[in-house]
Amino acid sequence: MDAELKEIHDFIANTPPFNELPPATTEAITGKVTIRYLRGGVNLPPKNVSDRRLYLVRKGALSVFTADGKLLGKLGEGDICTVFCTQEDENEFIVKTEEDSLLYTIPFADLSAITQSFPAVNAFLIMSASQRLKQIVSSMSGEAIVTSTLMTTSIADMFNSPAITIESGSSIRDAAVKMTELGFSSLMIVDDENQLVGIITDKDIRRRCVAVELSTDTPVDQIMSTNLISIKRTANAFDALMLMSRKHVHHLPVLEDGNLLGMVSVTDLIRQEGQNAVHLTGIIHKVKSLEDVIEASKLIPQLHVKLAKLGTTAEHVGKSITAITTAITHRLIEFAEKKLGPAPVPYEWVAAGSQARQEQSSHSDQDNGLIISDEMKPEDDAWFEALAKYVNDGLADCGFIYCPGDVMAMNPKWRQTQSAWNGYFNTWVETPEPKALMYSSIFFDLNTVHGDHAFLKDIRANMLTKTRKNTLFLAHLTKNALKLRPPLGFFRDFVLVHDGKHDDTLDIKHNGIAPIVDLARIYALSEGITPVNTIERLKMAAGTPSLSKEGAANLIDAFEFLGALRIQHQARQIQDNKPPDNYIKPVNISRLEREHLKDAFKVIRTMQSNLQSLY
Amino acid sequence: MLNQLFGLEARRKRLLRKAPEGALKDFLSVPFPDKAGLIDSASILAVDFETTGLDPAREQILSVGFICLENNEILLSSAYHQVICAQGELKEENVVIHQITDSAKSRGASLEEVTSDLLAALAGKAMLVHFAHIEKNFLEQACKQLYGMAPVFPIIDTLVIAKKRLDKRGLPYDPSELRLSKLRDWHNLPHHYAHNALNDALATAELLMAEVELMSFEESPPLKYVLS
Repeated sequence: MDAELKEIHDFIANTPPFNELPPATTEAITGKVTIRYLRGGVNLPPKNVSDRRLYLVRKGALSVFTADGKLLGKLGEGDICTVFCTQEDENEFIVKTEEDSLLYTIPFADLSAITQSFPAVNAFLIMSASQRLKQIVSSMSGEAIVTSTLMTTSIADMFNSPAITIESGSSIRDAAVKMTELGFSSLMIVDDENQLVGIITDKDIRRRCVAVELSTDTPVDQIMSTNLISIKRTANAFDALMLMSRKHVHHLPVLEDGNLLGMVSVTDLIRQEGQNAVHLTGIIHKVKSLEDVIEASKLIPQLHVKLAKLGTTAEHVGKSITAITTAITHRLIEFAEKKLGPAPVPYEWVAAGSQARQEQSSHSDQDNGLIISDEMKPEDDAWFEALAKYVNDGLADCGFIYCPGDVMAMNPKWRQTQSAWNGYFNTWVETPEPKALMYSSIFFDLNTVHGDHAFLKDIRANMLTKTRKNTLFLAHLTKNALKLRPPLGFFRDFVLVHDGKHDDTLDIKHNGIAPIVDLARIYALSEGITPVNTIERLKMAAGTPSLSKEGAANLIDAFEFLGALRIQHQARQIQDNKPPDNYIKPVNISRLEREHLKDAFKVIRTMQSNLQSLY
Repeated sequence: MLNQLFGLEARRKRLLRKAPEGALKDFLSVPFPDKAGLIDSASILAVDFETTGLDPAREQILSVGFICLENNEILLSSAYHQVICAQGELKEENVVIHQITDSAKSRGASLEEVTSDLLAALAGKAMLVHFAHIEKNFLEQACKQLYGMAPVFPIIDTLVIAKKRLDKRGLPYDPSELRLSKLRDWHNLPHHYAHNALNDALATAELLMAEVELMSFEESPPLKYVLS
């Protein structure tokens, strides 16, 4: 190639996917370029071009339409048009010059031959949006596996086995001796058939025996905890962390098919991942004052940055931050109970929205509520009001801003008895007016943070039986959800939105992440699926009448990609001492990321229109 | 005058009979493109020379660049650029413009080789130049020097095309508007690295495509409409 064609060569070498190629290859590609000048409003391919070609916009703009004339996207300087690379795409789309345009064209046969030793490039040109997305997401999570352990470490790989047990009926002294000999801070108590009946810890011996001058000859059965929370061998370390945070325990028996295999402790988790979410939740559990909780919460943005630098997946970051929020909420409730005295009747503190879904970012606001036992008397509300106020204020002090929509336990509307909550859900499902639909999207994602009385579980079971059969409600919910549409793509340095208008920034939450969350919720409600985490919902809905397996896989890829982009964006903001937000400027998105974003948007649009046609 | 009296094609045949064996004769033996044919399907060679000055009798060609425009598309595979090992030392002001240094020049090809390459590429095509005066005169001079006679070429001059367009508006304009880079800017064509023979040839070819798109023809204008 002549050095004189350097400008054209540099232009091509800077265009994805060619930017990944060595200079000799991009020079060979440049040698095959032909240049076309087309007047505005002309269809591609230009007349007298009959071979398959890639088009690159050098000057001007192209518009891409569906066969029935709906605008799909616009291509500006530096964008590539792969529509005419393959036979299938050609009949699916109409491409027109939007203005007078100078185009570089490359015969696809030549391009394939030149890039044959770079399958990724070749694949980029002929793969569909969802295929490309899958490729990038799998390479991202590949990096994450190398750098992160907790999400991918199975309990099976880290628990202490065999289980350290003592027989039911043994004395406290015997238990203490065994624990000391083996250097364990806890012991499991089993019956003659080796079935787990209880657990004792150092703390139990200290508090329930020594402190109250109970004889050490007393059987351990008297001081052991029988409220057993266990974890399955197949769970991962993060599940264990979440369970420990929620139940406020430091040891979990590990079971398989009901048989006791061993024990996993919070120390085991900390050993797995050093300075991280586990460490931070550990600190929060130990601190003695509100001030210390606030101090510990200041580490969340740092943790966010650290996880982002490790290339951790969005799912992992969301779960890490949620684990910390849960620990903070928990600790605040404990402080409040200490201050206010015991609760007059049982209750559950529930989290809504992103905390419930375990998808929090360091920017998340608080959404929560209280489900109180039906035994509650009117005068009891003063206690719950004080609790709500203390915890909501405490969370705000820890950086979880007050919910702008006032969805918080301190709002009397969301501090109600179990029956009242059931009534809410019934009304929302039966009369889906706009406000009800808005509440639906918040309160259908609920998770218990504190208190375990199956209140929420019963409410959810009741709600799911109603939503499952109610196609009118689902249709309304769908219509409401489809109001959030992803943009078409990018045009020059703007975000191209639906009606062909331009936005200056991309709202990655409302135009990318939220539409997937909404879709997953609707699939879950129509299929009676209990979990609220978006990826779990999609995995469980995969292969049901609501969602194909392929559609689920594509949405998960899109969700992961958008989440990763948001985490990186917010990590940069935190490092620049700016408050993290969801607004990304197109100039700050690399050309390759733009391509992947367009693919993610396309996946969402496809699934949205599939859902639309279902209801 | 002569053009109108005899026509280019007739003069080509007349010159062919007198031409010596070699590059010039080979060039003249290929018929010129059909003047009635459409530009869309024409074979055009965009050409640019960098020279040491304006007077072909005293100055020399420093470099030659050309590129093919076929069926309305520019083929980068046809790109050609060659520095000529001209005689004498280069003037500093030239080096500044063309970026061709004495050492680059000394590694260049002979005027004969380059002229022969150009004539071979030009056979059967129309020659596209911006401000054809220089290239036409210098090429005629080179042929006279090498083969003892000057040929004729069908020429498309984008400066003439643009001038016609501007004159038609009946509004005064600054002559600098007709410069290659100014016209490209006006058409919203990308910036190009000027004063390199190949880049200028390519820039001229892009300009021709843009100018032709402005002409109000149902299909594409016939070649004669743009020939000088």
